[in-house]
Amino acid sequence: MSTAMAFPDFFQFHLPVRIVFGKGLSKDFSAELSSLGVSRAFLVTEKFLHTLKIPDRIRQALESAGVGIAGVFDEVVPNSEVGLCERGAEAARKAGADCIVAIGGGSSIDTAKAINLLLSEGGKLLDYQGAQTLTRPLKPLVAVPTTSGTGSEATMVAVINDPDSQSKISLVDRYLTPALAVLDPELTLTLPRRITAATGMDALTHAVEAYVDIESSPFSDALAAQAMRLVARYLSKAVIDGGDVEVRSALQIASTMAGVAFNHSMVGVIHGMAHALGGMCHVVHGEANAMMLPLGMEYNLEVRERKFAEIARFLGLDIRGKSDRDAGLEGIAFVRQLNQELHDLAGLPTRLSDVGVSRDRLPEVAALAMTDGSMFYNPRDVAEEDVLAMLERAH
Amino acid sequence: MTFFQDEKHLYKCLGGLFEKVRRDAMIGPKLATAALVIRFLYEEPEGQITIDLKTPPGDGTFFSTFYGKNDLEADVVMSMKADVGHRFWFGKVNLVAALTRRQIVAKGPIPKILKLLPAIQPTYAMYPEILKELGEDKILLA
Repeated sequence: MSTAMAFPDFFQFHLPVRIVFGKGLSKDFSAELSSLGVSRAFLVTEKFLHTLKIPDRIRQALESAGVGIAGVFDEVVPNSEVGLCERGAEAARKAGADCIVAIGGGSSIDTAKAINLLLSEGGKLLDYQGAQTLTRPLKPLVAVPTTSGTGSEATMVAVINDPDSQSKISLVDRYLTPALAVLDPELTLTLPRRITAATGMDALTHAVEAYVDIESSPFSDALAAQAMRLVARYLSKAVIDGGDVEVRSALQIASTMAGVAFNHSMVGVIHGMAHALGGMCHVVHGEANAMMLPLGMEYNLEVRERKFAEIARFLGLDIRGKSDRDAGLEGIAFVRQLNQELHDLAGLPTRLSDVGVSRDRLPEVAALAMTDGSMFYNPRDVAEEDVLAMLERAH
Repeated sequence: MTFFQDEKHLYKCLGGLFEKVRRDAMIGPKLATAALVIRFLYEEPEGQITIDLKTPPGDGTFFSTFYGKNDLEADVVMSMKADVGHRFWFGKVNLVAALTRRQIVAKGPIPKILKLLPAIQPTYAMYPEILKELGEDKILLA
């Protein structure tokens, strides 16, 4: 019998997005823009970013590169809805846009993906619900993330809220992936502490789930492992000194690496619970992930002891001489300690009761979580009573 | 390789499986909980099979099946070559990988489809037996 590690029967690694990184790069990425051959950009962003003058900075960079501004759509809100995306697409169409530029966090980038889909292909967003339904490239999408957590700048997924069905719809298509991701850590220097903490834990959750779930591969593992190392080493430092551009760089790189990792191997039970908590109780996604991460790790430990031992090592722990299980438990304890540290430093909530989730809603949350697509990729079969037990422990 | 000679042959073989499953007291009720209308669109040869898990048939079976074009509005449409469909019911196609590779294109709420996978696992053993009963040994897979 071979002693080599078991490789998956099949995996694919495909990275259509060009990722460029540089301190201050968002002021001038004309070289990358020129290769896209675009002339009229439609900006998709969030209103509050105007106060930080970030859309202006990108606008100037585009204009300096000879790309005109077809329009600005700054109506993005957390958990963007189908109607908002359709309005944005209509505005982009009327403006004659030939590319979309997303500026912001995960909601802005996901909304921009949906707008780009409708601008390029027409129709209604619900027509495209599914996997790999598109047959040709869309217009170029440029993503300029202003947080370090979502990873959406490097993924083929957009999750959009559908109020009619009271659920989130998933659009999964390689053509949704941005053509260009501009990583400029300077854009994250002013992130408030609590958002820094929550988005950093979001990135860590992406990396952990990508590393253990059923679709993980050697390629996604490598990226997830490095993302975990960077978050473990630098997240608290970024919260303490948000103005340190090196620390911010580490987190932004980690976030995109984790995004590429989970774009290939997907996420699991922790995200299933976080999506349900976000959809029903409006818990901020990164905060929900932070609260559920140690519980989800414990839940999966028994089926992935070796991998959780490796995770402990990536988190910077000395696991020499320890059994895989004990090492894995130390990794989970590290995550709990990190959560507590972020609570003390930034006010990151550690209990669902801290963010207004009432205990009597937990059975509904558990039931909704069971319908989430993430559950399928979890390494351990998920039972609803186990989800409820985790939610109750987090309460 | 083309396992099915024509549309009629496709319906005979895959339909043989669906007709058995919709009467199966173990699998049928589990599938019916999905409350979806699923349409399988096949190429080479062309054909379509629609299963209605939404409307109880009221004839002692757990869902209805329709062969050929029909007007029922589908919640999920899964398109594939008929050969891929054949291999799938032998349990030889990893659905997630097939979606990634675009061997199967799925339109609609994918999570609901993925949730059905555990329920249909027993059918992988049923399909070869049904093909044998139908005298279709020549398209059995090793």
